[in-house]
Amino acid sequence: MNLMKYKITRSITITAAAMGLVVMAGCASNKSTKSSSAAAKPAVWPLTIKDPAANESGAQIWAENCMRCHQLRSPSQYTPAQWGIIVQYMRLRAGLTGTQAKKVLAFLQSASAH
Amino acid sequence: MTQKRRVLISMAAALAIMPAAAAWADPAGGGADYQKLEHKYQQLQEQMATMAKQMSAMQKQQAALKASQAKAATTDTAAIDREVKRLYRRVMKDSQKISNLEPGNIQVLIAGDVNFQFQHVDGSASTFYADSSPMIQVRVDKNIFINTAFDFYTSAGAAGGSAADIGAANINYELNNYVTLGGGLVTSPIGGIVGQYNPAPWNRWLVDGSLEGALLPPNELGVWTRGGLPAPDNMGYLTYFLFVSNGPVLATTHDINGASYNNLGFGNWNPAAQNGKTVGGRFSYLPIPNIELGYSFEWSRPSADGSITTTNSLINAVDINTYYVNKKIDGLFRFRGGWTWDQVGQGIDSTGAFSLGGMSNGGQLEVAYQPSLCGIKYLDKMMAAFRYDRIDGPAAANFSNGASHEQRYSIGLDYWLHSNAVLKFEYEFDNLSNGLHGNDAMYVQFAVGI
Ligand code: HEC
Repeated sequence: MNLMKYKITRSITITAAAMGLVVMAGCASNKSTKSSSAAAKPAVWPLTIKDPAANESGAQIWAENCMRCHQLRSPSQYTPAQWGIIVQYMRLRAGLTGTQAKKVLAFLQSASAH
Repeated sequence: MTQKRRVLISMAAALAIMPAAAAWADPAGGGADYQKLEHKYQQLQEQMATMAKQMSAMQKQQAALKASQAKAATTDTAAIDREVKRLYRRVMKDSQKISNLEPGNIQVLIAGDVNFQFQHVDGSASTFYADSSPMIQVRVDKNIFINTAFDFYTSAGAAGGSAADIGAANINYELNNYVTLGGGLVTSPIGGIVGQYNPAPWNRWLVDGSLEGALLPPNELGVWTRGGLPAPDNMGYLTYFLFVSNGPVLATTHDINGASYNNLGFGNWNPAAQNGKTVGGRFSYLPIPNIELGYSFEWSRPSADGSITTTNSLINAVDINTYYVNKKIDGLFRFRGGWTWDQVGQGIDSTGAFSLGGMSNGGQLEVAYQPSLCGIKYLDKMMAAFRYDRIDGPAAANFSNGASHEQRYSIGLDYWLHSNAVLKFEYEFDNLSNGLHGNDAMYVQFAVGI
């Protein structure tokens, strides 16, 4: 299997969309910092921090982050239990949040088992 | 409906006892409780299996209901839907708790890499070379991770023709979503692209390391905190890695830890030479996931060999790492760059006669392209790579022959048999200042990541 073909084109589209969002978020930020502070998102003074993992899927976080440093390794290369160890390590390397790591792991484990 | 409610109530009751059971069943309690625990665990598993069956039956009923009562009962089904989801989440959570009590929870992975190469460097005899770097990665539990790495390699100069290093020995504790604490020996984050991205040969597109590496610590021996968090207001992502560690050594008279006169040496787990400790770290910003911009610093009072009094040193480094995958370019494009400044303050020896100071700097630009989406067999596995790197130093500091800088152009052609197996070919053109010719080199390497 050629891993480089794996769903990556999608991640670029998402990236382009994300860039658009960054601009939009910039415009809307004054409003949102105040009004959304009561929402469930964790707030870190003085600005609102939204965990991107909240609306990203595990597959997307994997495709976007796990090839920053090396070629993407196929989910089928390791067992679900081995992925548990690897993602714990790669969370550190990649600087992912716990939520992101959990989502990537859930994706890798289900993709590995099939 | 009433039947469904009954099912829900009995499920909720069963679930309510689970956390209590989980808390009671402390695996540290030892062998006596184990039988009980296992029995209870099996009971819980059976209960869960029954519940899961009931739930999927309910979900089917619900789907049928939705289809038949399309509009009429929307609020009702939405409420049931929410309840089923809530219960499902609880079942998942409790099953996680229970599986944490299962014996055999510590999990170990042997990872790392093996490679061999043939090299011909001008001025030295050509040679084969082999390297094995096993890693033992241990997931102690969901918050604790341990990593140990070794490096065994052939070395003509070493006794017995081979040498061994320890590359990592660290324990990490995930404090929360954004913070991990750690201690031990770990890959240094300083200069990002050299340390974080490059150590394993299957992670690199070129065989030889960059010249910038000579100015950077490969490891840190100390304690640290690291993690990442979304930037405020959805403006991208931030990572950080801050540490206190044994600092570098300043070479004043002779080669020490691989560094020559007036340079910093990073064999930093040698306590005899280390009184001054280092404070350092790296921050990176990812405006989008494909682009990472890093800044790192390391300040220390390096111990100097000889009679030179301790002085200050400051390392500053910037790095960039990007990738782009798109059908338009038929594949994958990578671009990496970095620059490091090593600054050594004035140091004076007891007689006041000896003074040091100065700046060494160096960096690199690296591009790689793989037409992975071109659809042509074999070509889609080829990668072309190019690097320009250089190092500048105070005259007579970096180079024994008086040159003030060295620069290289490297071209590489790789064939990726798999995402973790690569055959590389590389040629390096090496030039020194004053028109002096350096040591050109040729490498062929086969590397496999485990
Ligand atoms: C900051 C760079 C970086 C990022 C981002 C990264 N990795 Fe890694 N990865 C490495 C390095 C470096 C190694 C080699 C091990 C070493 O040298 O410590 C590695 C090794 C691996 C291995 C080999 C097995 C092992 O445990 O060593 C797998 C599989 C892997 N990474 C998967 C992933 C996944 C999945 C992600 C995304 C969550 C990811 N990587 C993100 C740097 C990175």
